[in-house]
Amino acid sequence: MRMGRISNPAMETLMSAGARLKPCLRGFRPSAELSRIALLLILIAAAWAGHASFMTPGNLRTILLAVSTVAVMSVGMTLVMLAGELDLSIGGVAVASGVMGGLLIPAESAPLVIATTLGFGLLLGLINGLLVTKLKVSSLIVTLGMLGIARAIANLLSGGQALYPDDLAGYLWLGRGAVLSVPIPVWLAGLTVFAAIIVTRYSSFGRTLYAVGGNVRAARLSGIKVDRARLVVFMVSGLTAAVASLMQGARLSYIGPAGFSGIELTVIAVATLGGVSLAGGRGSIEGVAIAALIIGVVNNTLNMYGMSSYLQQIVTAAVILIVVLPDSLQRKDRDT
Amino acid sequence: MTALATPTPHGPSALKRVFGQPLLWLLIAIVVIGVVTSQYFFTPSNMENLLRDFAVFGFLALGVMLVMLTGRIDLSVGALMIFSMIASIDLMQFIGPYLDIKMMSRGSTYVGPTVPLVLVALAIGALAGLVNGLGVAYGKVTSFVMTLVTLSALRGLSYTLTNGRPYYLRGEGFKWLGEAAWGHVPVGLIALGIAFALFAWLLHAHVVGKRIYAIGGDEKTARHSGINVSCWVVLAFVASGVCAACAGILFTSRLMSADAPMANGYELTAIAIAVLGGTQLNGGHGSPYKTLCAGLIFAIGLNLLTLHGVNAWYQNLIVGVALIGVVGLAQGIGRHKQAL
Repeated sequence: MRMGRISNPAMETLMSAGARLKPCLRGFRPSAELSRIALLLILIAAAWAGHASFMTPGNLRTILLAVSTVAVMSVGMTLVMLAGELDLSIGGVAVASGVMGGLLIPAESAPLVIATTLGFGLLLGLINGLLVTKLKVSSLIVTLGMLGIARAIANLLSGGQALYPDDLAGYLWLGRGAVLSVPIPVWLAGLTVFAAIIVTRYSSFGRTLYAVGGNVRAARLSGIKVDRARLVVFMVSGLTAAVASLMQGARLSYIGPAGFSGIELTVIAVATLGGVSLAGGRGSIEGVAIAALIIGVVNNTLNMYGMSSYLQQIVTAAVILIVVLPDSLQRKDRDT
Repeated sequence: MTALATPTPHGPSALKRVFGQPLLWLLIAIVVIGVVTSQYFFTPSNMENLLRDFAVFGFLALGVMLVMLTGRIDLSVGALMIFSMIASIDLMQFIGPYLDIKMMSRGSTYVGPTVPLVLVALAIGALAGLVNGLGVAYGKVTSFVMTLVTLSALRGLSYTLTNGRPYYLRGEGFKWLGEAAWGHVPVGLIALGIAFALFAWLLHAHVVGKRIYAIGGDEKTARHSGINVSCWVVLAFVASGVCAACAGILFTSRLMSADAPMANGYELTAIAIAVLGGTQLNGGHGSPYKTLCAGLIFAIGLNLLTLHGVNAWYQNLIVGVALIGVVGLAQGIGRHKQAL
């Protein structure tokens, strides 16, 4: 959502102050971050106290595995949101790129399937970015349209049938392999998060993102290539969607055109829980990573108590509200 | 069009405003396409079907448009429309005996009076809208997040209340709501017409509208000129909740059942319709007339694709491309006009 019209004085002062701050502090608000970490620790302590089996390596691995897909997608979404845009198409992009790669399973070459999946995700992200920057349509509309288009592409290409990459050892390794007894999806998620932290904090592109999201006009007037930044974040979001699709496809050994339903809203919720503002320019990757872990721990604990997934949905919604409310009450300005 | 562009002292006349609308011409074009390409399009039964679809989308889009006018967004409408009916059925089973209302509910089939059920559903819609509104206006939670939270919570509640099984509705009242028509004009459309008249009157001929548009146009100025912004935002969400409940009542009466996974993703369709009708995401621009034009175009478009036997997957593809294309085109025209 482009929010250029809403002036945001607090953000502007923050931006100018941010220029003087050390880059490692960019977007880092100690109070909010610490409260999130504290919440995570409390939840872990409570879960451990309730169930001794919580702290077993097996269960921790389960939590991280369950979180990894959403975490990867959240990184892409966070970058898009930092630039003040929104990407609703990630679920569609994930299934479309997964199916596109899955069509090449008969070629029996895992690198080819993986490369095609990633390439198609990147391509759809590029199309999103081009439509937003060239056609100047709001990203909400473009990516909403793309969600329908990409899902349709996935269904049309696969004929509505699931694809099974059973014989591609290299592909399956992405979901089932492990290095140092940590599963590959967790490595992938961790690396994605790490890379994104480095980029947002220490690169000029990161500075550009915060500038574009904070105040588009000021960014443009100070010579920042706003459109190029937007293009890049949509491409990254497409790429992370494709990575998530690879991880899930490999873990389940099943590429279905109907997967990832409603994931866009889950991912936006995680990003918001992580302190990312929909108006852009505010939030950090660390916050989002912690938020993903919070959701993972909550769901895992509720699973241990045998709570139905529908009730879990309500509890998760309440958790998000509890975390977001105090933070938003502190702010004087509003965004949307 | 040129006549429209030249400013007159009193602005363009109402007639010119109505007929100078590109959406109206798009609507006429799509109707002509329908009549020409399909012999079944302009038959009474198809028209009735189409208008019943339109009534559901129309209600959702009207409510969402009102919230968007204030510069907020409401994502909860799709979940709310089903939840209001499911919760209403549960509540009626609970309070029915106390109110001495005769009804039976065998298993998950509701056989009972329609009017109280509908009233309770509307109240639940208003209540959910109130929660959204209070969270946004007084809790200062971003509307996108607040309504996203209620969306997922209401879906979860719907599943929990029904245990994942559909509720069936039996009764003359539901049949009437879902199937009756006065000379091929379905009941739902009449209800939508009344809602539209109310919206049009409030927004264009009443001080309420001036306030709502002022809030969307520039909230700070509106607040400084003494408008109680928070109060009006809450009311907009309540109205959107009631509209969603109306849509839910019509939708479930037509299907004679209410099931938790129904109407999945309708919130995005409603927003797409509102935006297609020129409603802007940052508030202050949009009208009920244009929104309903867009809703009708959408309903006819889907109907035509079905009539021509287009695969549902292609339908999604076409809807997606059309959405981006139409909004892009409209914005291109808008920029062109500004440049002149």
